[in-house]
Amino acid sequence: MTEEINKEELKQKVLEHLAKKPWQVRDLAKVLRVKKRELDKIVQELINEGKAAYWSSGSTTYVTTKEKLEEMEKKRSGT
Amino acid sequence: MADVELPETPLLDELEKGPWPSFIKEIKRAAIEQEKAMKAGKKIKLPGAAKGLLKVLELAYEEKRTHWKHGGIVSVIGYGGGVIGRYCDLEDKVPEVWHFHTMRINMPAGWFYQTKALRAICDAWEKWGSGLTNFHGSTGDIILLGTRTEYLQPMTNALAYLDKLYGSPAPFDIGGSGSDLRTPSACMGPALCEFACYDTLKACYEFTMRYQNELHRPMWPYKFKIKCSGCPNDCVAAKARSDFAIIGTWKDEIQIDQEAVREYAKVIDIEKQVVKKCPTGAISWDGKELKIDNRECIRCMHCINVMPKALKPGKERGATILIGGKAPFVDGAIIGWVAVPFIPADELIEKCCEMLEAIWEWWDEEGKFRERVGELIWRKGMDEFLKVIGQKADVRMVYAPRNNPFIFWRELQE
Repeated sequence: MTEEINKEELKQKVLEHLAKKPWQVRDLAKVLRVKKRELDKIVQELINEGKAAYWSSGSTTYVTTKEKLEEMEKKRSGT
Repeated sequence: MADVELPETPLLDELEKGPWPSFIKEIKRAAIEQEKAMKAGKKIKLPGAAKGLLKVLELAYEEKRTHWKHGGIVSVIGYGGGVIGRYCDLEDKVPEVWHFHTMRINMPAGWFYQTKALRAICDAWEKWGSGLTNFHGSTGDIILLGTRTEYLQPMTNALAYLDKLYGSPAPFDIGGSGSDLRTPSACMGPALCEFACYDTLKACYEFTMRYQNELHRPMWPYKFKIKCSGCPNDCVAAKARSDFAIIGTWKDEIQIDQEAVREYAKVIDIEKQVVKKCPTGAISWDGKELKIDNRECIRCMHCINVMPKALKPGKERGATILIGGKAPFVDGAIIGWVAVPFIPADELIEKCCEMLEAIWEWWDEEGKFRERVGELIWRKGMDEFLKVIGQKADVRMVYAPRNNPFIFWRELQE
């Protein structure tokens, strides 16, 4: 039960960070002080839930929130 | 050609001259085919895409600068790779190619297709994209060039149901891009080649299916490529172009059919074309019998390639694993290093999977941003890498073949 709460808390923290800017998972893992492997799973869950998404700078893949992704996509395609 | 009007492209037309194949000719053909399909009443989402591409290319040659920018959308639902975002900065002048994303599609192992499958892919792409294809990209994937963001998901769905919707013998999936496992590739192996020392197609299929998560979700420091070559001819250039190269080899002696060698002697000069060309001088020929000193053989394959009916790889077959190869365009190319000199064919897939998982865990933990696994080995040392994969140093693990063997004097150091 405690683990579940911690996981949910971590998910929430991850979403808060993703809403600010796109992150590489390894950098976010350092900031949140969690193992990258653990964060990989959480990020994937968020993506499967439709709350997060991948975004590319052209050479590097980042993770961000769905809303932020749409915003960046609009900016990039010039609309 | 006459009833379809193509844009004026005097500079591009120069690229059609000469006896070689021309991509301009193919783009023009695509533009004509697309127009014909539209006239035939086919539903096409990107009309004029091939024509638009011609316009942008002509302008780029005129102005000597590119009009493409890349990045942005990279995915369809749940996937982080397989789509490479491309935009054109001429949205007002050439709106047909304003969005021009590339999709990488996982090819079948060994690139064997039924024509039905090819037709189905092209039909789906004609509807949801530009109709332009590249068979195949440098990693081996099918490359579909040019579609809009909103058609990425429908095209992916069309591929996933290609059998039901378009009559393909099997559905298709998108491949890898970004910092993930790139679509594994394999030579045609035992399906067409008698030199194959293990089942490359099976190995490639197993890796692809087992590592779907690694293939579709870019979470690593950088890209990772697996290539399977059935013999040391290395038709997929695994040792130069992949981080993890599996190259078929044999442990025992080259099989010789002396009667067939004598047949070859009637049409080729064996002394000149085979014996003298052996890099280690391991072959002798007295006009009746060919002898090979197998201890000296370095598996260059020359003699086997010249006399395929007379010589065959040995019976005790398997593969050598090379690690850390890469071939970037600008500089920094590395040929793979031998990590495991020999794994028997029947143990190969399982042993490779164990090794791959250990390597990925280490690289993911220790690798710097955009550092390939070969570069990490350079930085941390082969000694540390060998501990990761549970191997002992071996004289065959050479940095530059027959030049710089790794020798660890651990006992003396301690």
